[in-house]
Amino acid sequence: MSDEGLQIFADEAEDLLSLAEQALLNLDDLNNITDTLEGIDDLFRTFHTIKGAAGLFGLNTIVDFTHIVESVLVKIREGALTVDDEMVSLFLSSRDHLEKLVEHSLQEGEVLDPDLKQNDESLLNKFSVYLGDSSGAILTEKNKLTTGQLELSDEDDDGVINENWHISLRFGLNTLRNGMEPASFISYLNNIGEVKHVTTISDAIPVWAEFDSESCYLGFELELFAPSTNKEALEEVFEFVQDDCKICILPPHSHIDSYIKLIEDLPEEQMRIGDILVACGALTTHEKDNILSTQDKITDQVTASGAEQKVPPLGKIAVGQQVVQQAVVDAAIKKQSVIKQQQGNAQQTIRVNALKLESLVNLVGELVIGSANSELNARRLGDSDLNEAMGNLLRLVEEVRDTALGLRMVQIGETFNRFKRVVREVSRDTGKDIELRISGAETELDKTLIEKIGDPLMHLVRNAIDHGIESPKHRLAAGKSAKGVVNLDAFHDSGSIVIQISDDGGGLSKEKIITKALDKGLIQENQQLSDQEIYRLIFEAGFSTAETVSNISGRGVGMDVVRKNIESLRGQVELKSAVGKGSTISIRLPLTLAIIDGFQVRVGDAHYIVPLDMVEECIELNDALHGGDERANYVNLRGEILPFMHLKEMFGMHPVATEIVQTNKNDECRENIVVVRFAGKKAGFVVDELLGENQTVIKPLGKVFQNLKGISGTTILGSGEVAMIIDIPEMVNRVIDSGQNSFIPQQHSKNLNCNF
Amino acid sequence: MVQQLENDKGLDASFSAEVAQYLTFILGNKVYGLDILNIKEIIEYGEVTEVPMTPDFVSGLINIRDSVLPVIDLSKRFTGESSRHTKRTSIIILDVKNEDLSIELGVTVDMVNEVLDINTNEIEPAPALGNNIQTNFIKGMAKVDGALLILMDIKNVLSVDEISQVGSVQGAAS
Repeated sequence: MSDEGLQIFADEAEDLLSLAEQALLNLDDLNNITDTLEGIDDLFRTFHTIKGAAGLFGLNTIVDFTHIVESVLVKIREGALTVDDEMVSLFLSSRDHLEKLVEHSLQEGEVLDPDLKQNDESLLNKFSVYLGDSSGAILTEKNKLTTGQLELSDEDDDGVINENWHISLRFGLNTLRNGMEPASFISYLNNIGEVKHVTTISDAIPVWAEFDSESCYLGFELELFAPSTNKEALEEVFEFVQDDCKICILPPHSHIDSYIKLIEDLPEEQMRIGDILVACGALTTHEKDNILSTQDKITDQVTASGAEQKVPPLGKIAVGQQVVQQAVVDAAIKKQSVIKQQQGNAQQTIRVNALKLESLVNLVGELVIGSANSELNARRLGDSDLNEAMGNLLRLVEEVRDTALGLRMVQIGETFNRFKRVVREVSRDTGKDIELRISGAETELDKTLIEKIGDPLMHLVRNAIDHGIESPKHRLAAGKSAKGVVNLDAFHDSGSIVIQISDDGGGLSKEKIITKALDKGLIQENQQLSDQEIYRLIFEAGFSTAETVSNISGRGVGMDVVRKNIESLRGQVELKSAVGKGSTISIRLPLTLAIIDGFQVRVGDAHYIVPLDMVEECIELNDALHGGDERANYVNLRGEILPFMHLKEMFGMHPVATEIVQTNKNDECRENIVVVRFAGKKAGFVVDELLGENQTVIKPLGKVFQNLKGISGTTILGSGEVAMIIDIPEMVNRVIDSGQNSFIPQQHSKNLNCNF
Repeated sequence: MVQQLENDKGLDASFSAEVAQYLTFILGNKVYGLDILNIKEIIEYGEVTEVPMTPDFVSGLINIRDSVLPVIDLSKRFTGESSRHTKRTSIIILDVKNEDLSIELGVTVDMVNEVLDINTNEIEPAPALGNNIQTNFIKGMAKVDGALLILMDIKNVLSVDEISQVGSVQGAAS
């Protein structure tokens, strides 16, 4: 089979395995038996699909392995085994193993390396324990059934007939010649359930003269009591004689309700009636195919006769053939029409190569730059028609841009769900009882960001569990519930996305942090630090507050690495904590890495871009604002103190001497303050000129400027000029820091203004 | 096989039959040479956007067909003095490979001359003293038509680590 096919198999297997993980983790939460069974069904389907696909590619290791897993699942479904924690863990590890096997099959094909092989064997051994036990259990159960048969048969007469499966068998003439024994099928049915009643149909036996002793003329009508089985399983019993026998399996009446319920619960997809019936289990695939071929035959007849006759629908034939009940078909038809109504908003997905998407986004970037250039020229020509057309075009380009960028947006929920597993395992390892609460799972984020945020998040979650949440004993002593809670939350906030990890654990002790920081020489004795500064120490290199390093945290990925990773994504990380109440870590990330709405300003000769989402307002810098004090670095903005700085000064271009300010005042263009907000903090920047909004295609600064602070990237303007994007988070912090310094008595000192 | 290759190399070195091509250009009043294998293109000087908080020898950024490249003032980097921009001032776009990463950037020169074939045996090691430029920038000296040509070691001139380091120190100090 082609590599491409194998790749598709691997992709699908990956999806299925993540579904399996989901199902397993749900299983963990469930106490309800019916829900558990449903979960087991999901699992079974997943493993079964993988097995089937692997079989197609001749990946025997996977087939063999999944087969064993399936067998155990079947036992659970039959009630011979109950799911416990240990079993879920075993399934989880076999899921991981399967993941490795699939990966392996992509690379090296069939031959296993020793590690995998060993893993394979040890897992299989563990499973065989279950299988061994359960096969014993099955045996005893079987005995019980046969002995109990008489009693139950009595009940049968009391009219519980409705609870039975009705199987009608007409064996083919060649059944005996093919080496099949009708009676053995019937006795085998006793393994699945209990045969209540058998009526032998001998109508087909011909007159003696034509009788052939090697042919089979018999038919049977069976009543089978088997509440826990399904149609597919029953049909499998007759797998070998299916082709030349007529088999009708009619489920018990009590099943009708469950079928109807299943039909209602089916996913909202456009499906054919036959597929709906198969999906809910009312019809087996084999039966559906039969009905379809019957339908074809009728169609042929109709077209042949040329009569204007309607071909009977599948449902009708099915009812006619006595394989399903009318009520079930009605429900299926209802479901189908509901789905048809919703077809408009049906969600269909297409898999697209990430590279293709990337080149599309790049092209859109070029398009944005190109259109900005055209607009500039159009405006210069001053032709009103051209300008109007250009305006329309720009609007479209903007839409194209948003759509193209939207393609890369994925919900963060999937990433969050991955942590359920982590929380489960880590809480088990540490002997803590922890619940993971997820909110904001539908918040969308650029795919590249999601990929890169996974590891830092993982570390923070592990940290929250390991260092944050106390042991149940401590928690009870502190008057909290024994169960710790870790919250994962995501939401949008002024152009950035915020991901919060909070726990209700012990919180961070400031004293401990300070002692530790002194120890490590990170701070000086007697240094005055704000709470925020103290917490920020956690993110310094070589800092760890846990006294003992367990195998969960302290894997060499320190908080400093977390901070670096996040900062490399143009993000920020912040920690809040209250002793005894828990800590909250907020990660703030830009929404996208590619194209943003920018606000263009001029400082000196160069043009700069401020991300528009962060711009609050623009105000003119005049005497009324700073109360006539030319040297002030804060203004009174409607009763609020707004710290500000001259960008020129921050960039070290020319110190703003009073004379220059004076000349500027007389100039046509007045200085303006751009008020920006980041993470709840406001600050102002004085710029020479405001130039308005534009679409900014972010071009990275490159290695050469990797240590440059204050500029986060570059872009190309419509005129072809290069403009720099101001790193607002960095700048806001600088302004605020310098603002705090200025509260020291000599606030009019000239040096302080330049001190950054 | 390996040994044989090494032998070949040794032979080449002793006979010095290898010829490399160098682009010559003028900085100040001296002629310099640059291995053409590093050069992508040469463009006219213009529209360089200054980047704040960077060392003096970083001229700024230019837009080359929708990608943004940094430009280094080679004269400043080499001699510590910036030369005046004239009509002949050009930007040479280079592709510098440093270990496993390759970086594209531009360098400004006063004037571009020609491409010369230079035999490796005509190249002499850089003199230890007597020049007002750092010797680790020089790969060697070549005699062409009686004149001395300074061959630049582009990796050292444009050591990305060094440039970015200097950038951070200056940025912090300013």
